[in-house]
Amino acid sequence: MSAEFDAADVQGNILRGYRKLRVRHLMLEIADRIAARRWLAASTSGRDEGIPQITRGSWGDAKPDSCFNIGLTYEGLQALGTPGSSLKTFPNEFIQGMSARALKLGDVGKSAPEKWPSPFDDPRRIHLIATIYADEVAQLDQVQRRALADGNALRLLGTREGCCFPDDQVHFGYRDNITQPRFAEVHDPQRYDDGQPMAPLGTVLLGYSTNFEGLKWRVPQPDALGLNGTFNAFRVLEQDVVGFEEYLDRTATDLLANPQVDELLPRGAEAKIASSRRAALRELVAANLCGRWRDGTPLALSADAPDPGVDRTKFDYADDSRCPYGAHIRRCNPRGGQIVQRVANNSRRLVRRGMPYGPAYDPEKPDRAKIERGLLGNFIGASLGAQFEAMSCDWLNLGLQDPRVTGSNDPIVGANDTETSWFDLPLKSGATIRLRGLPRFVHTRGGAYTFLPSLSAIRFLGAL
Amino acid sequence: MPSDKDWFDRFVIGLPERRLFKFLAARILVPFWAWWTPVKPLPGGPHPSAQPGDNLQCMMNLIMPLKDKSAVGRAKAAGAIAANKDQIYAGLNNVGTVHFARFVIVGDNICMFSVYDGDFTNYIRDFIATIGSVFNAVVELVEGGEDVIPCEHNAEAFIEWVHARDLYQVPDTATGVLRDQEALKGDKAASGDDDLDLLPRRLTLQLHANPNVSLGSGYRAYPGYSAAQIRKQLGIGW
Repeated sequence: MSAEFDAADVQGNILRGYRKLRVRHLMLEIADRIAARRWLAASTSGRDEGIPQITRGSWGDAKPDSCFNIGLTYEGLQALGTPGSSLKTFPNEFIQGMSARALKLGDVGKSAPEKWPSPFDDPRRIHLIATIYADEVAQLDQVQRRALADGNALRLLGTREGCCFPDDQVHFGYRDNITQPRFAEVHDPQRYDDGQPMAPLGTVLLGYSTNFEGLKWRVPQPDALGLNGTFNAFRVLEQDVVGFEEYLDRTATDLLANPQVDELLPRGAEAKIASSRRAALRELVAANLCGRWRDGTPLALSADAPDPGVDRTKFDYADDSRCPYGAHIRRCNPRGGQIVQRVANNSRRLVRRGMPYGPAYDPEKPDRAKIERGLLGNFIGASLGAQFEAMSCDWLNLGLQDPRVTGSNDPIVGANDTETSWFDLPLKSGATIRLRGLPRFVHTRGGAYTFLPSLSAIRFLGAL
Repeated sequence: MPSDKDWFDRFVIGLPERRLFKFLAARILVPFWAWWTPVKPLPGGPHPSAQPGDNLQCMMNLIMPLKDKSAVGRAKAAGAIAANKDQIYAGLNNVGTVHFARFVIVGDNICMFSVYDGDFTNYIRDFIATIGSVFNAVVELVEGGEDVIPCEHNAEAFIEWVHARDLYQVPDTATGVLRDQEALKGDKAASGDDDLDLLPRRLTLQLHANPNVSLGSGYRAYPGYSAAQIRKQLGIGW
């Protein structure tokens, strides 16, 4: 039942990133069903006045100055009056919502939904998340004003705003935005061959073949509502940069006293990494936790030092790869490397559209007061259960994919507890140095599962 | 001391053992309670846990009533398993997260018991992708199975269907049952709806709504290891 693919029917942030400097997410409640339907209809009317127009996937080379997209929660679909016969065709995880799936996602302790600040403390009121992308704050403000001009339709519950750092850096100091799944149907000049197979369109859109041979996800009915739509896990992820840097300090000090340290970092090799042996060990640990040096160099290609000359994207995890089995990027996407769940290679891939929030941490000027900083992440895939949740619970927080990491959490984003956490630094001989006491560096501070409807679906909902 | 109790005390204490009382309790009192205070069957499968080690060697206990409740029906079910034996082995090998799978016929039910690692939905989904045809051959013989096969085209519905037939795992601690019932109703632990005196009644009503359950979540003689950890340790590849 593969539908004919039409990029103009797909929301524009799904298949390609806009690469704007700023983003603002508006968490909205539907105030009046009829007015909200009118709002949706107006957002696809083609008249660029009043309600902002939804940016489509067919923007080609002429990227708009500002982009506007929406996602609806299950409660949002209900509030619009979507018929029950349609609602029940949506997947369970979306119906239950992100906060009900907390255990699967590692949202426990300080990250538990009960601890989330407003507006995420009352998830049932979040009906629609509208996202504005632009380079200037004034543009964000202008689009927001237009979007909220009709106070009868939508009520603003809260906003979250993010801003790019130079050179695609993110908090923790790594370079991000290096790879994304590539689709045969979509030409994206910024994405070139990364050695990974092209992702079938069904990875990210409902109604197309998926990476699982012969397996298709249920398209919410009717087709006008479900086809060309997809699901998004929107996450507000607080990053403890100070805690992360302190952990690197402590670990570097401990390693200096470790009898195996010369195998980890041969005498003299530090010169290629940093100005001192201790500083080099800090960076070596940071690189191993992530699977990339902070400049983006993959350990799979250059395990001894960062190398601006190597390809950042084209690599795989061969048996003798020196990227740790438990490194963040390897856990999220094991590429073609051996994993326990043989059918799952490439099947849990996600499109990620994220941007940092909060000011960058400057070690020269430590925070005087508590400042929250982190990532506003969109993790997009046609099946939340088979992609985002499967990755989160079995790979990030159980390590089921490789017996050598089973029972440990992802060192950077996992739900770590200092009492039980561990991470193995590989040595050339095949031995390892086990690091312990990793605290949890990333805490969830909000989020929602949303359905990203196609343009046809927005019109369908507008005409209910 | 018995001598302290008068005839009425002795009568009341002995009531549960009297045939008339047993009859009234089973046939009238419990059905009346169940009607008066309806109880939803608690969901099946292992209790979710945030501790990675708790999510290894999980138990699945499927009880699936056969459509054909005769010796012929049971023989057909036995035949479906036998015909797919090679595929089952191939599936276990490729899915990689399964320790054991057992098929048992009890009464007019085909039961599938297995021990697997990690999340239930991932386990079933990977199985569908690997040997969906075996599921189809078995589920076809089961009441209501026709709605969810072929499982490859109904993956989400099939997973929910299987989950609905997975036995509730009664917690080892008495308060666990009360906590599960509160969670099902959306109550928090602080709601006060956790009176221990009510435990026998709650358990009886739950077993009325949910006649087949697993007692505990399976007892292990050693800590949980994944199938791949065991295979690696034994040097047989994973």
